[in-house]
Amino acid sequence: MSRHVALAAPVAVALALAAYPVVASGYEVRATLQIFMWIVLAGSWNLISGLTGYVSFGHVAFFGAGAYAGAILISKAGWPWLAAALVGGGAAVLLALVIGYPCLRLKGPYFAIAMLGLNEVLRALVSYFEGLTGGGNGLSLPTLDATVPIYYVMGLTAVAVTVLTYLIITSRFGLRLMTIREDEVAAEAMGIDTARHKLYAFLLSAAGPGIAGALTARDQGYIEPISVFPLATTITMIVMVLFGGKGTVWGPVLGAVVLFVAQEVVWARYPYVHPLLFGALIVAVVLLMPRGVLGILQVRYRLPRTI
Amino acid sequence: MATPVLDIDRLRKRFGGVTAVDGVSLRLEAGRIYGLIGPNGSGKTTLFNCITGVERRDEGRVVFGGERVDGLRPWEIAQKGIGRTFQVIRVFPELSALENLLVVTRDRLAAARERADRLLRFVKLDGLRDEYAGNLSYGQQKLLEFVRMLMRDPTLILLDEPAAGVNRTLLNDLLEAVRQLRDRGKTILLVEHDMKVVMGLCETVFVLDHGEKIAEGAPGVIQTDERVIEAYFGR
Repeated sequence: MSRHVALAAPVAVALALAAYPVVASGYEVRATLQIFMWIVLAGSWNLISGLTGYVSFGHVAFFGAGAYAGAILISKAGWPWLAAALVGGGAAVLLALVIGYPCLRLKGPYFAIAMLGLNEVLRALVSYFEGLTGGGNGLSLPTLDATVPIYYVMGLTAVAVTVLTYLIITSRFGLRLMTIREDEVAAEAMGIDTARHKLYAFLLSAAGPGIAGALTARDQGYIEPISVFPLATTITMIVMVLFGGKGTVWGPVLGAVVLFVAQEVVWARYPYVHPLLFGALIVAVVLLMPRGVLGILQVRYRLPRTI
Repeated sequence: MATPVLDIDRLRKRFGGVTAVDGVSLRLEAGRIYGLIGPNGSGKTTLFNCITGVERRDEGRVVFGGERVDGLRPWEIAQKGIGRTFQVIRVFPELSALENLLVVTRDRLAAARERADRLLRFVKLDGLRDEYAGNLSYGQQKLLEFVRMLMRDPTLILLDEPAAGVNRTLLNDLLEAVRQLRDRGKTILLVEHDMKVVMGLCETVFVLDHGEKIAEGAPGVIQTDERVIEAYFGR
């Protein structure tokens, strides 16, 4: 019975969201599209950082890499945006492969800082190679109103990231990722090849942001280095996961929805206090509920990992 | 003489100016229980860490089952059949007791589950299989760590202070388990400060002092060795 509800509820929500563009205003579709994007970003960050405990402070780098890969293919090579988005995801995974190999050897804060540095390096590189990227002037894409189809593709990507998270968390592969977070030395002493596992998780965590970056580039029609590599985006996805519950399936979804809606409401009413409130929320989450909403429920009520 | 299970040849490990293990050679044969003793800082845990790949040795060789393992990564060494426990307990606190065991094998899930259930029953933790490991008592965590190490069915078992912080009843169970493993052909090397345990359990004892092996022999012989007494009590 409860199993049916657990399956029926997300399906009902998905169907409602699929029908939503028919009745919603342009603003509402755009806002929901943004929520989908945040679910992709937060859910992806959760795969590497929530499960293995390797905190990536530069995850927006994959978003930016996907955005530039997609935008260049669309504007310079005339690719259709859907194909460009998939290649954007692939480009981000490739980037993760190149930097994950050396960086994942670093532990704790060193990995976090290395990722932060990576993001800054990418931003500098993109600004430097003006011929391809337009440098600081940015890159304009041909005009196209594709918000509704992009809404669906972003929604599907969010579903894919969440389903992937569920599959990983319920598998022994997922448990092995968690042993890295719990005690990496013990995991290695028990014969778990932690380097390979971390790399796999890292690759999986790069795909979603890459696709989301390319889709966002197409939807906005214009990108520049500061718009697709902002540190604030990484911080927002981290806070969403911490708020919802790291290492859970629905925590990133909950965090993305609640924080995005809260931001929109606060943003509209009090533009000046907004950063202050957001900062206060970060402090409150870290101090008062480091496990996040679902993490607390999980521990208190002995709920399964699959929430 | 049969090929040793573990053959350590002139192993040396330095940390800066300190030589933690200074040219130690040991040979362990199958189906025996060995003890490794020595004052604090004599290099026992460093030696363990060099065998298991946690630390890279500077010089010397470690041969396990006829194959050189020094220079391999810890998980490769574990996969070859060396299991260990830690001086400070290292269970996976936010995994359940059962998950702590399941996660370390690559056997099919049904087979892994059966083995895990049997091992949990063996240490009387089957009633707590779904509890987070971090919520178990100290002694229970110690037992869990012990059986987790057995999930891969290692041929060589390294125990770092198995008796520390364990009550008498639990300790007797643990020692009995170690003897059973020995009877099944496993080789056990344990670091222990509790001399009663060492003398009662081990067939051969190695004594380290300042990173050097200063004595080796049956417990009774070791106890009366001049250099050993000197190392422990001073001249």
